[in-house]
Amino acid sequence: MAESEEEVDVLVQRVVKDISNAFKRNPNIDEIGVIPCPEARYNRSPIVLVENKLGVESWCIKFLLPYVHNKLLLYRQRKHWLDREALVDITSTLLLLNPDFTTAWNVRKELLQCGALVPEKDLYLGKLALTKFPKSPETWIHRRWVLQQVLQRFSAAACRSQQQHGEMESSELQRSPMLSDQLTRTLHEEMKVCCDAACRYPSNYNAWSHRIWVLQHMARGNIKFFHDELSSMRVWVSMHVSDHSGFHYRQFLLKELMTELSQAPTSSYASQNRPSTAPSSSPPHPSHTEANGELTGAEASGDEERQLNSATVLQLFHQELELCSDLIQSFPGHETLWSHRRHVFYLWHLWRRDLEHHCSCNGDAEAVYASSDSDLQAVGLQSHVNGQPGADEAMEVEGTSLPDPHDSKRLKRGVPLPDPPSLTSEYGFVSGVLDSCCNHEQKRFAAAYKKWIDTVVNQAR
Amino acid sequence: MLDKHADYIAAYGSKNDDYEYTLSEYLRMSGIYWGLTVMDLMGQLPRMNQQEIIDFITACQHECGGISASIGHDPHLLYTLSAIQILCLYDSTDAIDVDKVVEYIKGLQQEDGSFAGDKWGEIDTRFSFCAAAALALLGRMDAINVDKAVEFVLSCMNFDGGFGCRPGSESHAGQIYCCTGFLSLTGQLHQVNADLLGWWLCERQLLSGGLNGRPEKLPDVCYSWWVLASLKIIGKIHWIDKAKLRTFILACQDEETGGFADRPGDMVDPFHTLFGVAGLSLLGDKQIKPVNPVLCMPEDIMQRLNLKPELLNFFLPMLTLVLLHHRNLEIIFSHA
Repeated sequence: MAESEEEVDVLVQRVVKDISNAFKRNPNIDEIGVIPCPEARYNRSPIVLVENKLGVESWCIKFLLPYVHNKLLLYRQRKHWLDREALVDITSTLLLLNPDFTTAWNVRKELLQCGALVPEKDLYLGKLALTKFPKSPETWIHRRWVLQQVLQRFSAAACRSQQQHGEMESSELQRSPMLSDQLTRTLHEEMKVCCDAACRYPSNYNAWSHRIWVLQHMARGNIKFFHDELSSMRVWVSMHVSDHSGFHYRQFLLKELMTELSQAPTSSYASQNRPSTAPSSSPPHPSHTEANGELTGAEASGDEERQLNSATVLQLFHQELELCSDLIQSFPGHETLWSHRRHVFYLWHLWRRDLEHHCSCNGDAEAVYASSDSDLQAVGLQSHVNGQPGADEAMEVEGTSLPDPHDSKRLKRGVPLPDPPSLTSEYGFVSGVLDSCCNHEQKRFAAAYKKWIDTVVNQAR
Repeated sequence: MLDKHADYIAAYGSKNDDYEYTLSEYLRMSGIYWGLTVMDLMGQLPRMNQQEIIDFITACQHECGGISASIGHDPHLLYTLSAIQILCLYDSTDAIDVDKVVEYIKGLQQEDGSFAGDKWGEIDTRFSFCAAAALALLGRMDAINVDKAVEFVLSCMNFDGGFGCRPGSESHAGQIYCCTGFLSLTGQLHQVNADLLGWWLCERQLLSGGLNGRPEKLPDVCYSWWVLASLKIIGKIHWIDKAKLRTFILACQDEETGGFADRPGDMVDPFHTLFGVAGLSLLGDKQIKPVNPVLCMPEDIMQRLNLKPELLNFFLPMLTLVLLHHRNLEIIFSHA
């Protein structure tokens, strides 16, 4: 085993080289790990590449880490010179072993700024580090910085082509297929990285708050993407019923969708032609119009569109509470599920209250009132705006088949919608659980839920 | 047991393992703050090497004014706060260029009132707390736009009364501690929904008596501190079972080596040792100095600095009692 300073030097330099060669040999490495191996037993490099997995034998780490660590710090203090290539190799070795070493990420930020590194390479390094350290805050922080660089490059590229085609509108440019394809690819890749890290560590706060950040910065206003996320996450949360962060992500999606859909009308055609309604505050987005196209045909009037959006919101909340009920009954005693229910019902309560408020505030504009009325009629909520906020009984609606919220024609034909969630239905659900379940925890959570909605929702009305 | 804990901390600094040291050097300044604060709470601060530590901090201040975790590392708000906390323990803030630190912190505030952790721009409510705490300790809160800073923190409040790292993020006990601490330092605790937040916080207590940081997570000594301190700040500490929490914290001690772990049976470390001891102090342990729940520093240091971060009191329950009392009197008199 190498012990003298000189020997360590030689050994470590070789190992760093072996690591960078492994990445050159196989650019598709998708996971890193440590191979437990207290001593150098074989006469071979401690870097092992098997298919797409890169392993480091554990014995060499105690030499490797302090060596690359000190080398970088000496460079940082301008006591030791390293060229760009050496810096790239040293920081990547260092960060795969200790990804919370902020300064090493900062060195890479500088390399990226001066063009010695491309963003894709750093997103890849971060992704690998997360396979071994799925929580690593600094890795997520660096990722957000790199993504911001990517976004800036996209908008710079859009500006350049705008100058070339002076007559084009910026929104059209942003829809330019090449740019938007690249952005979409990056977006999907981020979702994959987040999902992978979420699977590796339960209730991974950093992974899920990163996912939210990505949506806020890269998919704002993209209703279709939010819908897709909501449906693709359905299976995931059903298999991770203790993952509070995963459920919080659903709450975030619901809230965003609810907000977007409340800002009707959303199609550019309709907002141009109906100045009386609040304009959508969402900035133009590459796939914005495309995303809403199926919801809002250009011929749709604002009223119809509002009805449609209200119906979509009702559907979303109905389906979410159904999912929640199913999971609570299939997996008794999970605090996460009850906490999710609190939030979903609370969001629904807010939406409905805002709707009531909106209607009563616009008493002077009869047209708005009337159209709002018909909105509510369409979603089975009319009783609440007719001055009976206490009448929480759901309207009797026959039929149980749920219409596709995207299908405006079916709505026009008057396909029945589900009953709106109400305090009554929630009390009914709780007493059902209390009567039928013998799981002590489940009963405790059910009772706490009832108390919560009693206090927070019922008394606040 | 307190002597053992002090021995553990005193010995920790002199351990010389290259590998362990390099792994955690990126947070060394905070490590020193944890060690020194817990020593001070146990009345054993003189055992640490004051001059060496102060010289180290001086060497960690950069041209921009910010302070790094260790020599050769980049400056960051997290370690800037830790360094200032240490210097306050030693009454030696003159060891750094205070005006430059203040400029550094001021320069990290964004248009929306939020704070970046360093020049690279990551935003987090933790950094709002770091900025406010550092400036409060230096008596320079006026350097920043407090109203805007408050506005941003409040925009991170959730339906459950809790706070996350950014608007829309999940409530998390660590972030809640930072946000309630921030609102206390800026005198804005009335903006917290204390009943709702208190409800969420006391639901963190598990059967073992320990507290977790989010639903369905394991109990942990450090989360026990963050939840307990937040409850203290919003005046709801009486909503949890204090005796059971004390039992849990005590079970996390290593009786042979000294120090506290995250959970009973795990390896001890200085981080959990501070939060274990600070937690016992908030629970009223008389062997330990009283701790300030907002800054996690001994109260005697706060008095020296003349700092009194706002805490909510039991005003509402008292009012309810008074009203009930009056109603009883009315009933009595109406029967008379």
